[in-house]
This record gives sequence, structure tokens and C-alpha cells, in this order.
Amino acid sequence: MSSYSNLRPVEALASKLQRRQVVGSRDAALETVLVLRQVVTKAKFSNINQLISIIRTVGHRLVEAQPKEHSVGNIVRKVLHHVREEYHTATGQSAFTASSAQLDSGYSIARFVQQGQPRRHHVTGPKSSEIRGTLKEDDPDDPDSFARGLKPVLMEAIQDVLDELETVYDNVSKNAKDHIHSDEIILTLGHSKTVEAFLKSAAHNRNFTAVVAETAPSYSGQQLAHSLSSAGIFTFLVPDSSIYALMSRVNKVILGAHAVLANGGMFAISGSLLAATAAREHSTPVVVCTGQFKLTPHWNLNHQYGAHDFGNPSEVLAFEEGDLVDKVDVLNPYYDYIPPELIDAFITNDGDHPPSSIYRLLKETYDDEDNEL
Amino acid sequence: MPPRPTAGKDSLITDEDEILQAVILADSFNKRFRPLTIRKPRCLLPVCNAPLLDWTFESLALAGVQEVFVVCRSHAEQIKMAIEGSKWSKPGSGMKIVPIVTAKETFSPGDAMRDIYTRGLVTTDFILVMGDLVSNIRIDEVVRLHKERRKTNKDAIMTIVVKESGAIHRTRPIGDSAVFALDSKTSECLHYQPVIAYPPTRFVQIPRERLESHPEIDIRYDLIDCGIDVCSVEVPSLFQDNFDYLDIRRDFVHGVLTSDLLMKNVYCHIATEGYAARVKDTKSYESVSKDILSRWTFPLVPDDNYPGGQRYEHVRGNRYLAKDNTVVLARTCKIGTNTLIGSSTRISEDVQIHASVIGQNCIIGAGTIIKNCYIFDHTTIGANCILEKSIIGSNVNLKDNSSVPRGCLIADSVIVGPGAKLEPFDRLSTRRDEVEAELPDEEVDSDVEEVEARQSHINKNLGHDSNALVWPHGPLSEEDGEGPENEKNLRFMRIGDDCSDIDISDPDTVSSESESKSSGSESEDDTGYDTTASSDVLPPVKRDANESEFRSEAKQSLVRAFSEGHSIENASVELKTLRMAFDVPLSLAREAVISAVVGWIPIVQGGGAPQRQEIARVIDRWGNMINEIGGVDPVETVTLLQTMCASSDRMPLFGQILAALYQSDIVEEDDIRAWHALPASKGEGHRAEENLKKCWMIGSHMLQQFDAQESEESESEGNEDDSE
Repeated sequence: MSSYSNLRPVEALASKLQRRQVVGSRDAALETVLVLRQVVTKAKFSNINQLISIIRTVGHRLVEAQPKEHSVGNIVRKVLHHVREEYHTATGQSAFTASSAQLDSGYSIARFVQQGQPRRHHVTGPKSSEIRGTLKEDDPDDPDSFARGLKPVLMEAIQDVLDELETVYDNVSKNAKDHIHSDEIILTLGHSKTVEAFLKSAAHNRNFTAVVAETAPSYSGQQLAHSLSSAGIFTFLVPDSSIYALMSRVNKVILGAHAVLANGGMFAISGSLLAATAAREHSTPVVVCTGQFKLTPHWNLNHQYGAHDFGNPSEVLAFEEGDLVDKVDVLNPYYDYIPPELIDAFITNDGDHPPSSIYRLLKETYDDEDNEL
Repeated sequence: MPPRPTAGKDSLITDEDEILQAVILADSFNKRFRPLTIRKPRCLLPVCNAPLLDWTFESLALAGVQEVFVVCRSHAEQIKMAIEGSKWSKPGSGMKIVPIVTAKETFSPGDAMRDIYTRGLVTTDFILVMGDLVSNIRIDEVVRLHKERRKTNKDAIMTIVVKESGAIHRTRPIGDSAVFALDSKTSECLHYQPVIAYPPTRFVQIPRERLESHPEIDIRYDLIDCGIDVCSVEVPSLFQDNFDYLDIRRDFVHGVLTSDLLMKNVYCHIATEGYAARVKDTKSYESVSKDILSRWTFPLVPDDNYPGGQRYEHVRGNRYLAKDNTVVLARTCKIGTNTLIGSSTRISEDVQIHASVIGQNCIIGAGTIIKNCYIFDHTTIGANCILEKSIIGSNVNLKDNSSVPRGCLIADSVIVGPGAKLEPFDRLSTRRDEVEAELPDEEVDSDVEEVEARQSHINKNLGHDSNALVWPHGPLSEEDGEGPENEKNLRFMRIGDDCSDIDISDPDTVSSESESKSSGSESEDDTGYDTTASSDVLPPVKRDANESEFRSEAKQSLVRAFSEGHSIENASVELKTLRMAFDVPLSLAREAVISAVVGWIPIVQGGGAPQRQEIARVIDRWGNMINEIGGVDPVETVTLLQTMCASSDRMPLFGQILAALYQSDIVEEDDIRAWHALPASKGEGHRAEENLKKCWMIGSHMLQQFDAQESEESESEGNEDDSE
């Protein structure tokens, strides 16, 4: 199987991720789907376990290359989940339907703990009933027949993941007007594409004021402020130090996320913790806009110091300051960990959720056995 | 989009037009890391537990380089093996690495470049780096700029990547740096002068011609030379043409910039983002290691894009521990900030480690204190040792109760102790074993042999089981290295050496003297300056011999040109070539032309009109030659003419020749005035004072005539005005 993880596109993406030439959750996720599609197209397998193991090795290689881009692992898990789903639908395996039937009939706490959240019902369209029965695993006469039969549906499943990624901004922001009301003052920071789309979409119906913190040391807030004001939104750009002072006037804090963890906490650009804590002090609601591909089935990442992704100190202290470089240790963490207590709601491309129900979404989206790739 | 189209799997390598090539000069061509480099090339020394060469490969891979030639000389087999075993030779690495083994006689980077030329390796613009580079600069961006520049200016042959740093910076070596004079707008490099710490460089001289053509110049002494050069394809051929180019900077760049024949331009790229530095010596080894650990090289850090195979976990305070859970840390040990510990290393009770790098499979005994040390793989340190600011090789066994003070270098497989007390800057290596001793052709051994011969004089406490050879302090052989490789200057590149006992401060008297001089008479300064400007860096002895030889050669060549009636262009090209070959200043060439032209004028008995005709004929035919040899300086021309006439039998002709030069616009009235105003023109103190004085008088007459003419003209103008 190792030959699959050495495929040129996989290696290319792995080194791009490692060299930080692909950054940002969505870009990394998109690249991953495309690579997985190529891998599945080329893959030779005669039963489902071989296919899953191929995808897992590729996923493992990519995650190992850049463990800090969580969306890469998430996408691999999601593809694996879809592959299994399609397989079960196609073969119409009894064990699976039986278990869901059971769940439908009797709903007990004991079974809930054992099985996890009931899986969503699978739409059994006419297409899958056509293939049913024709698929045969480990056919000694024609080892490729299984792959030949399954590949079209797999491609479709991967295309679904791709479509979801491509439409994620639209879907997150489609209900924006329900969250932002007229004459509200909204505080945000960093330059999250999701938040940008969300605010711009809300601006079609609502007349509100955006306050954007500069977000040192990357100063990405400046780009966001520029983009928002050119879209006709009334925008203030403020230094990070004034977030607390302004908080009493702010109606809502809207943040972007880098990764949403199983406990309902999240990693977001550094400075978010400051804003979220200040908001808690003033009882201002904190809302996080995120695509579901950022849901990460880990909960203890904040214990790993390196997860904050310490970047280049030169953004904070110029390398030219030769005298100081020798004497000062400069830390430049890229992410903050924001505990679930500080977050009021997640607005995702599939509905709004409180932090406490993130674990259920995770159960629905991924299979438990994939949590460690 | 998919990152790379799968159809063209090998198209990256075969597509000749598009690939980006790089040349790594893997050899150090010096001995700064001795004795660590006796059995291992410098480029395979580990920096933060990954071979230096891998850091360089990664730096190039970031730029999307597809084909790399590694030029290696000493220990070439080891380098080849290392490349074959590395991840770069696996399919899918995207980079094709070709090791090139050059002859043992390749003693300088210049020789290596000539070798590259003869092998015809590079086919397009390429990146030239040293095998000691750690960088995260986007070199592809520099290549793009270089190619764009080449579209408009074919002579822009090279772009040097430099990085701003402060005047004092740990990563900027003071023992081997340079002053750059750059055009403020285009950052064209106008002048390059290497600066070494000892003997201290007090003056930097920039040729005056440079100031004429570029109104704004930045003179900078705060740049780190990253050793990344984007070169055009003709650069190796320039090395081939100029066999005396040894170093890429002090010979090639300096040579190209000071030559007025090559007419090539060198540009600098001042990198504002990113990090790049070279591990040139033990001091920069330390500073680059520190920069990596404090993440200035991000993403090239141990927990991210790390070129070695091992992965590291980043823990609070920039501590890095191998990620495979094989590091054993005793409960009572203290690991300070900015520390890296390799896999399977065991740290015992009460050990203190500060700002150090510990290799893989090391064992550190109880109670040992390690500060600012770099310890390679498989090394055992006993209990209660004290190590400070030193580099310890691999497989070293340092036994209990030893002390290694600052600046020590201990080569691979040395056993020291127990109870050894080293002195600061001691260097230890092992004796040659019999197999090695039988290979006399290994150039390495000559040094070791020398060291072995001297062992009887050295009494040191190295412990009873030691197998170490102690290298003497100071140079091994009598001959001191040239340029930056002299003994005292090397101390500035040594780890742990603060060089507080070497006096490099500028004595105040010198600077104040030069100030008063410049505030005095500017014109005097100017002439004195111009004659020495381009030649001052050469050793004076060589220059004298060159000058006399040049004089006779130039004379012969010009006499032939005059008698055979060559065109001025051909004659001047010939003269330029001569000047280049002997490397003499421009003024000397001018002197040669003037003396030849004056000497060519036949003396007509009785003087008068026929004499004047002769002069006019010669000046008309050959006068322009004076300005053709490169650079126009009429004031100097007149001065030289004066000296020439004063010391020959053509003394009476001075006035007429000067008039003829004036007539043919080679000198202008203002130039004559400027010459006349020079104190030296009166010839005071000169041995031919009388004749010089006469010439000066003739000049005065001429100027009087000019004045008279002018007043007439102005009068006549005034009359015209009146009449209207």
C-alpha cells in the first residue's frame, strides 16, 4: 500500500503542506480532496478493505506532513465515511440496515452509549438498487470488477465533498440576516473568508456597523476592513488594545475558526481569545462562523504546546535588531485556543449549533475508527 | 486544481526550457572547522541534528529548483552516499540531484566554477549557493526578477541576495563581511569591498567614476551576504576566461565591478522577508543553530519543515524533544530554553542543559552542566562534567569529572578523561589508525601528521585513557593564510571567542587626520585618490613589477600601432587588454598613451610653423586615443603631459602640444585652468622643478591669452549691444 502514499501528487501536496506553500483550512481541504480523487481513480482494489487502507495511508502521509492543518485529516475522514456509506448502500449490506432498523424501533440510553449517535438514514435511490447484487468482492475471475462497479459512485461521493467545500461560504452566510440585525455593532478580527462572506451577505438586508481589530502581528484585520468598507459596510479599524474598551458598545462578536474541536472549543487566529474573554466580561454573545470541514475529532489539542503553531518571530521583532535578537526570545503564536465556555454558537454550512452539540455532529460526520489516521 | 498534472510525470526533468537549475559548491575550501572535518566534509556536519547539506537542499526545494549539481571535493564518496540515502533521491521528491566530483586540485570556488564550465553542466540561468546555506527566502522570486532585468539589460549577469541586519548581529560575521555600494533606485551593485576584522579595514574606496554615473548611492555595511547568487549562464565562462579568479566575492564580483572592459553589471537583491545565512565557521555555526531554535527560519524549524528524518515536538520555551517518546529525561534534570534533544538520548539526574543541541543516542551523566554546546550523535558524557560553548563530535566519550571550557572542538570518536581539564579553544582529534596512515595521498593527513609530530611538546591533563591528539593553538604551518584566513582574523570566526584582546578599534588620530585633509584642499585629495583608487587593494610589491612591465609592453604596442597605422579603436582595445592582463590603474595607461604620442612627434629643427604642423598632424591622428582607453580625465592628461615634457627633450613643444590638444577638444579651457590651479603643477619640490615651472609659465601665458580673448569677445558683444 505504501506505493500509493508515494504517488507524485500525494508527495507534491505533502511537501507543499510541509513548506507552508498551501495554507488556510479551506485551501488545504480542497487540495486534499483533489488528491484523494486522483488516488481513488488510480487505485486498484478488489475489496472494500483494500480501498480504505489505501485512502488511510495517503491520509496518514498528508496529516503527518502538516499536523497543524486539521482540515486535511478531516477531509480524509469524511471521504472515508462517504466511501463506507456508498459501499453499504451499493451492496445493501444487511448488518447495517438491521442496526438502523433496530435503532428506529427501540431507543435506549444503553444502546445510545454503545452505538453512538444514530446514523442518518441513507437515501436509497433507484441508482443504487441497480448496482445492488452485481457487486462482488474478491472475484477470482475478474479482480477489477469490484472496483469497476464501485468507482462511479465513489467519484460521485467525492464530488459531493468537493461541492460542499466549494459552496461552504454561501451556505454559511445564507442565514446571515437572521443573526445580524439593523443598527447592530459587530466586532470581528483577522481575515477569515467565512466571516467576510457572512458579513457581506448580511449587508444586503441589514444596515450595521463593523468594528475590525487590526490583529497584530499579521495585521490581516486591515485587509478585512478594506474589503468590508469597499463592499459598502460602515467599518471601523481599531487597534487590538482597544477591544476591551469598545466591548461595552458591541452587540455581537463574530469570529472565524481554524479548527473546531470535539469539546466545542476551537483554535482561531491569535487575538481571538482576547476578544472572546472581553465579550464574556460584558456578556456579549460570541458567534463563530465555520464550515463543517473544520470539525476535528480531537478535544485535547490545547494541551500540546506546539498546536498554537509558533511562527516566525520577525513579524514581532525585526531581524535587523541584531542586538536584541541575541538577548530576547520572541514567541509568535499563530493560533489561540478558545474554550467552549466563551463561545455561544457555531454557525455552520449545515445549521447552527451550540458548542455542547459539536460532539454529535462529529459522530454523524466521521466514523469512530478513523479518529486516528 | 491538482498540484501537478499526472500526465507529465517526467516532464519536469525533460523539459529543457523551463527547469530551474542550482549549483551547490559543497566544499568549504578552508579549514575553519578543523579538526571536526578531518573524516567528514563540512556539509555533512549536523546542524540541529540534520546534515547541513539537507538544510541547503530544503532551501532550494522551497524555491522550486528541479535540478541540483553538488560539486564536492574532499570526502566526495561520503557526500555521494549521503545524497543517495536521503529522501531527495526518492521518486517524487521533485528534485534531481547530481553529485559532481571535482579533482583534488580544485582549491578554490573559482576552480570549481571552471570545472562546471568545462563539464557544460548549466544550460540556463542558475542559482549558485554554497553547501552551507540555511534559508527560507523565496529564491524563485529573485530568479524571476533577475530574468526580467536580463530582458532589458543583457549585461546584468548576477544577482546577489543579501539580507539586512543591524551593524552588530550574531548572524553577520565580522571576520568576513563586506561593504556594498548600491544604486539607491535599482540596487545595482556598484562597488564591493571585502572587509575583514584583522587587520582592521579602515577605509573603503569607491572609484570616482561610479559617483559620476549614479547620483544616489547607498553605502552599506549592515548586510548579511547570504551566499545565494542568481547567475546567468555566462558566469562560469567568465571564470574560465579569468583564470586568476579564486573567490566568488573578493575576486569575481570585485573584478567584474572594477573592470572597465567586461562591462558587466552585478545587482543585489535585499531580501526584506525571510531568513538566509551561511554556516561559514564555528561562530556562525552557533548563531545559525540559535536562529533555527528560536524559529527565525520558520517554517524550517525542527517541529515543522525539518529536513532531517526525525520529528520533534515543540514544547514551551523553544525546547524541542524527539517525537517518538524515546528521550529519557530524569525527574531532576533541568532543560533550559532553546534546547533540542535527539531521539533515544538519556539525560540523567541533576543535569542542567542550557541553549544546547544534543544529538541522537547520547548519554549525559548525572550532575553534568552543559551550556551553549553542540553535541553530535552517539556521544557519551560522564557524570559531573562541565561543558561550555563547544562543539563535540559524534561517538565522543567524555568521562567523569571533565571540564570543557568555551571554544573547544572535539572531533569524532575521541576519548577524554576521566578528570580531564581542557583549556579554552583546545582542539582534539584521534590519532590516525594504521589503515589511514598508509594512504599518503589523502591531503587530510598532512595536517594530522604535523599535529602528531608535535605531541611531545604538549603536556595536558587529558585523563589516563585518552586517545586524543591535541592540536596546537595557532597555525600549523609557518605560512599564514592570505586574506580572511590569517590567524587573528580566524579568531573572529571561532565559537566562544570574544576577541577582547585584539585591538581593532579605529584610533582617533586616523579619522581626525583624514577629516582635516579632506576639509583642506579638495582638489589635491581628488588627484591623489584617483590614481590609487582601483589599485589599492593589491599588494604593492606585485604592482611595481607589473607597472614597469606594463610600461614597456604598452610602449611597444603603441609604437607598432603608430608605425603600422592601426585604427584608434584597435589600438585602444589592445591597450585595454594589456591593462587588464597587468592589472594596473587607468592613470598608468593614460601616461603610456601620452608619452607615446609625445614621443611620436618628430622634432623639426628650427621649430616654427613646420613644427606646429607636425604636432597638429600627430594630435589629429592619435590625440583621441587619450580618451579612448576608458575614462576621461583631461586635468590628469595635462598634468601627465607636463611631467612628460619636463623630463624629456620635447620640453619646448609643451605649449604647442597643449594648444593642439585644446584645438582638437581633448582638453578644454576649464581643464587647463584647473590644472593650472593645482599646487603640484608648479613643480615645487620635484626634481625637474625648473622645467615643470617653465611649463606652468607657458600655461599661464595661454590662460592670459584666453582671458584677453574673452574680454575682447565680451567687449565686442557689448559694442554690438550698443549699436543696436
